[in-house]
Amino acid sequence: MTNLLKTMEINVGPQHPSTHGVLRLVLELDGEIIKSCKPVVGYLHRGIEKMAESRSYLQYLPIVDRIDYLGGFFNSYAYCDCIENLLNVEIPVKAQYIRVLCMELNRIASHLLWLGTFMLDLGASSPLFYCFRDRERILHIFEALTGQRMMYNYFTFGGVRFDIPNEILEDISSFVEDMPECIKDYENIITTNPIFTSRCVNKGIITKRNALQYSITGANLRASGVGLDFRKSCPYLTYDNLEFDISYADGGDAYSRYKVRIFELYSSLKIVEQCIDFIRSSSEPILNKSVKPVMLNIPEGEYTSIVEASRGLTSCTVKAGGKTPYRVKWRTGSYYAVQLLPELLVNCEVADMMAIFGSLDVILPEVDK
Amino acid sequence: MFKQIYKSILSLIIGHLTVFKHAFKKRVTLEYPEVKPKLSDRFRGKHLFDIDKCKACGMCQKVCPANAITITKSENGIVKCYSIDYGKCIFCGNCAYYCSLGSVKMGNDFELATDDKNSLKLNFTKENK
Repeated sequence: MTNLLKTMEINVGPQHPSTHGVLRLVLELDGEIIKSCKPVVGYLHRGIEKMAESRSYLQYLPIVDRIDYLGGFFNSYAYCDCIENLLNVEIPVKAQYIRVLCMELNRIASHLLWLGTFMLDLGASSPLFYCFRDRERILHIFEALTGQRMMYNYFTFGGVRFDIPNEILEDISSFVEDMPECIKDYENIITTNPIFTSRCVNKGIITKRNALQYSITGANLRASGVGLDFRKSCPYLTYDNLEFDISYADGGDAYSRYKVRIFELYSSLKIVEQCIDFIRSSSEPILNKSVKPVMLNIPEGEYTSIVEASRGLTSCTVKAGGKTPYRVKWRTGSYYAVQLLPELLVNCEVADMMAIFGSLDVILPEVDK
Repeated sequence: MFKQIYKSILSLIIGHLTVFKHAFKKRVTLEYPEVKPKLSDRFRGKHLFDIDKCKACGMCQKVCPANAITITKSENGIVKCYSIDYGKCIFCGNCAYYCSLGSVKMGNDFELATDDKNSLKLNFTKENK
């Protein structure tokens, strides 16, 4: 009997609800067992890197929020940092703290959305509503602060656009106060649940060697036992003045990735708390007025900025060439996680596919750019 | 084995009790469209444009990432027609932020869905403020 008759080829996606976007997986099945997997990406390609070449530095700034729409602040910061370094300008300390605060709240919002949708993939619907309810509080804060819920366009070259009023700081501190209780509730429902553990423990194991070979970063890498976090190992902004712990687990399975992200929620809350204290007591300016964003004309040069985003390292390389960038290159964490799928899914059951894929926290706009 | 069964049952009970606790929490959803959400002052919705303040400097055009703004000037340099194409606009707010005269502002209207493509182009003129 030929191999063709023994196995069946099926398409998962690009419109499958569990793929969190438009990822197409071509699976070769032998009964319930996946024999091979081929991810097909590019359905959401918007040419974000090419768009930079026909726009001024400032015109490109609102577009970078759309690379990863759940973590817009990270992309925005990476791009702003490149331009600031190419211009050799310092940004005020208060603006740095505001940037850290925004990014950490963004990380919490992003992880909450991941947690809710991941649990929905596994068949649990209650956590989705709880996570979205709590995430909504962050989005309300972002809307009050920046003007929009997801496409912020808040950071600018030399600082941030608006100051944080006291009412918003009050909202953030009440959120930080309430959140540990909410995370405990998620853990009560999820962490020891026998259905959850049987679907996640020892499923989709990424070994340390594999993770490093495939350039996996972020929580996925830390769940494989490598404690690499750019906030600690190569601190940018004011991270070296802030106290927080990084989490890593040794399992490398879907359950470890869940545990690492839950811990990250706590550590982000700790950072936010410290930022609020500083911002309250500071009356510094929030913008370096020496930068004139509209008329920027940067002489030839190149700079790469690396940020620990919610889905791994995001790096932005800007090669300046006068009034417009000559070339902009983005490196995003999800792209590398998708590369790992053929390795992870082979010899797994079809039912485990979404548990494994969901645990990697892949977001497709970031993959396709 | 029995220990594992006991642990599983216990965790299920704790989980169910937590879910039960949440059933009595305050409702957070709104009955949209009957009840409208409360928007912040900085919300970036449909533009508000004051044609009398505009000096046609073209700054908004220069900073717009989507090329959504067209300014038509009369012979003496005064704005004749200021149009924003909502088919292109990404509501980044650059135009309002960089307008030094305060003629462009972001409003609170966000219900802009339409089935007529031509109605997406908004023209502000002296007659039609």
